[in-house]
Amino acid sequence: MHADPMLPATADDAAAMLREAAITGAALRPGGQGTRTHWRPDPREARIVGSSRLVDGFEHYAGDLVATVPAGMTLIEANSRLAAAGQWLPLDPPRAGSIGGLVATNDSGPRRLRHGTPRDLIVGIEVALTDGRVVQAGGRVVKNVAGYDLSRLFCGSYGSLGLVTRATFKLAPLPQASCTVVAQFADAEAALAAAAVVDGPSLTPSSVEMQAPEWRLLVRFETSEAAAALMAEGASALLQRRAASVAIVRDSQEAEVWRDHAHRLATRRGVLLKVVVLPTAMSRLFALLSDARVHWSVSGRATLGVALLALQGDDAQIVTVARGLTQYAREHRGHVSLLDAADAMRAAVPLPASPAAAVMRAIKQRFDPAQVLPGVPDGR
Amino acid sequence: MAPLTPSFLDQLRRAAPGGVIDDAVERLTYESDALVHLRAVPGAVVLPSSAAEVQAVVRLCHAHGVPFVARGHGTGLSGGALPHPEGVLIGLARLNRILDVDIANLRVSVEPGVTNLDITRRVAPFGCYYAPDPSSQSVCSIGGNIAENSGGAHCLKYGFTVHHVLEVDVVLPDGTATTIGSAALDSPGLDLLGVFIGSEGTLGVVTRATLRLLRRPEAVLTLLAGFDSIDTAGDAVSSIIRHGIVPAAVEMMDRLTIDAAEAAVQPNFPTTAAVLIVELDGPDVEVTDLFSTVEAVCRRAGAVTVEVARDPAQRDRIWKGRKAAFAAMGRISPNYYVQDGVVPRTKLSEVLGRIRDLEARSGLRIGNVFHAGDGNLHPLICYDGTVAGQAEHAEQVASEILQYCIDAGGAITGEHGVGADKKAYMSKMFAPADLDAMQLVRCAFDPSGLSNPGKLFPTPRLCGEVPGPYRAHPAERAGLAERF
Repeated sequence: MHADPMLPATADDAAAMLREAAITGAALRPGGQGTRTHWRPDPREARIVGSSRLVDGFEHYAGDLVATVPAGMTLIEANSRLAAAGQWLPLDPPRAGSIGGLVATNDSGPRRLRHGTPRDLIVGIEVALTDGRVVQAGGRVVKNVAGYDLSRLFCGSYGSLGLVTRATFKLAPLPQASCTVVAQFADAEAALAAAAVVDGPSLTPSSVEMQAPEWRLLVRFETSEAAAALMAEGASALLQRRAASVAIVRDSQEAEVWRDHAHRLATRRGVLLKVVVLPTAMSRLFALLSDARVHWSVSGRATLGVALLALQGDDAQIVTVARGLTQYAREHRGHVSLLDAADAMRAAVPLPASPAAAVMRAIKQRFDPAQVLPGVPDGR
Repeated sequence: MAPLTPSFLDQLRRAAPGGVIDDAVERLTYESDALVHLRAVPGAVVLPSSAAEVQAVVRLCHAHGVPFVARGHGTGLSGGALPHPEGVLIGLARLNRILDVDIANLRVSVEPGVTNLDITRRVAPFGCYYAPDPSSQSVCSIGGNIAENSGGAHCLKYGFTVHHVLEVDVVLPDGTATTIGSAALDSPGLDLLGVFIGSEGTLGVVTRATLRLLRRPEAVLTLLAGFDSIDTAGDAVSSIIRHGIVPAAVEMMDRLTIDAAEAAVQPNFPTTAAVLIVELDGPDVEVTDLFSTVEAVCRRAGAVTVEVARDPAQRDRIWKGRKAAFAAMGRISPNYYVQDGVVPRTKLSEVLGRIRDLEARSGLRIGNVFHAGDGNLHPLICYDGTVAGQAEHAEQVASEILQYCIDAGGAITGEHGVGADKKAYMSKMFAPADLDAMQLVRCAFDPSGLSNPGKLFPTPRLCGEVPGPYRAHPAERAGLAERF
């Protein structure tokens, strides 16, 4: 890889760099803080075109619950600014990184249960394209059906279509209060059944996370002080009947529980996969893992059918497990993505092509005919 | 372009046996959607009975270079389903089956001709519902909702169609059938669903959709407050949001529309300058707690009257008044023009001031009903079609209001779509480069430009071919020419 990244200072500069590359035939790869770059390795000798200097133009329209954030600003910085008006961009991936990277990877965290992913919150975008132009789509109002929704097309596009230079999002008010119920279970079935019970109309948690193989659930309530307390007590009462132990945590203790949860997979070496299936297919996933001859650890959106899975051990065994999961996910209308994995591992675990891969490639060809940018993610 | 040939029509009959309507009088029924002033008699109408027939029809159209327009139940308000006079109108009303209901996974799979409300009716016994609730939900189709990215009164909290569709089977404009998205979340690759939803029938035809269901909220509380001005009602909305509360719905009506609704359905609204409807839903403990704040905020902001609906009958009466507002205008004006524009919520008061000035200047009465939570305005411009020139005048007034929305940093449509009606305004809201980028998507899906042509884009464009890697022309390299 080329040593020094190109760091445009403006969107126009970025577009000019992309256009220049299109003319000279150079390969470029959009980058932010480098938080998730390894999730989609680029087999080409591509030079990074980074967004870290694109930090101007932050606009907070507090009364409209909307903000425009430059791509190079970190999520942490954006949220510390938004907090001044009691609001936030409600995304909580384990490692935050830049806004541009967050959009490009569509990454999210436990609060996805309530707030969704970047594609659910984005209302407008500005991107630099390889034809040298800076284009905008959407706007700064939440409700808007004028024209194609290119903002969402760029969410999760991994830099394959252009460089995101800024994005506008719908925000959420910061919750007045938060508390979390931590419950320990005997096995996956008990934990998942309990998760389904607490994520119902009388409780509405903002997160229901599963830790496995500890068989622990973290159920978070974020609303008014009184309601959060009542709902946590309600959840606790419901879980008592099913769990080995139940506790309600608040304040610094709660913060610690969530910090540990965010870090529990990040600190492990090995292979990181995302497995997505229909919610009811989650429990058999754990049955598959219990037979595996590798060390494994899961952080999962228990009621959404999304599991992040860290695998450690013998490579051949990991390949067997990953292939088995791929097959299982496919049978349950889902799929597997390899996030952290060596190239050899990626080669050994073939993932099925998307049925609409041809359309994805056609879009790629239109946006980036000179193939300056990386290929379409998972467009196999 | 030539009219459809007898040979083409024969093949069309074979593609969808028993589904072709070529009788001139019957075809007239399809000449418009709910935007009735834009009309065109379609070259042929076909009502396929299966996804396979839809595919056969589109393939045939593609093979012969014949344009086609998909139509749901014809309730659109932007002429999105306006037929092509020399093309085929594909009516999807016969694809109206609910194919699969999976309560455990909160998923439902339906054909595009299923009516929005029928989904909720089907899953209601399980305590579930389908969230997007456009005013036309008892008659509009899911296929149409997907084409327009429909919202509804409750989208402030629950989002739009794009937040509730997980997977669609589509027939692409070249006749290829494919699936985009997946029933499980996070479908790999580009978010094609994100761009397909709201593409107004220009990227293909949906033959099946898998939708996300929600559990019915435990509690719903609705408040109806009367204010002596629209501005004070607007202040109340700002204050609710400042208190960190995101209501399920916030609707506002002005005096003219209150009077019209009263005449039509007698909802017994207060006779104030404005009414605000605020609805909270969620767990009982949360709604009860937050609702007291909302009530106090409304009173502090200067509400003259506050009524709280605590049972479904009271709530239905309030919503009946709100939902009847459009049709009720017919009681007080021979004709009216419905506009759909969006402004940042904080600019509501400024833009409504401009609309009031315009009303005085134009001599046409303008009623205002709007989704106050998200700044989506629906000005209703009253006119008398029997007075020469008044319809055109109303249209000019409606057009000027859109300009106010653009000036305020808003959008030319919040939920009705661009369609045939507003395509000329696209270039007021977007720069040429922005429109070109949209055109890239159009060309990727439909290089022949046969799927609902003449809609959404301000000017018709052809798609150049892009065979293989890009090679810069010497003139481009010298900076003398640009390629699209």
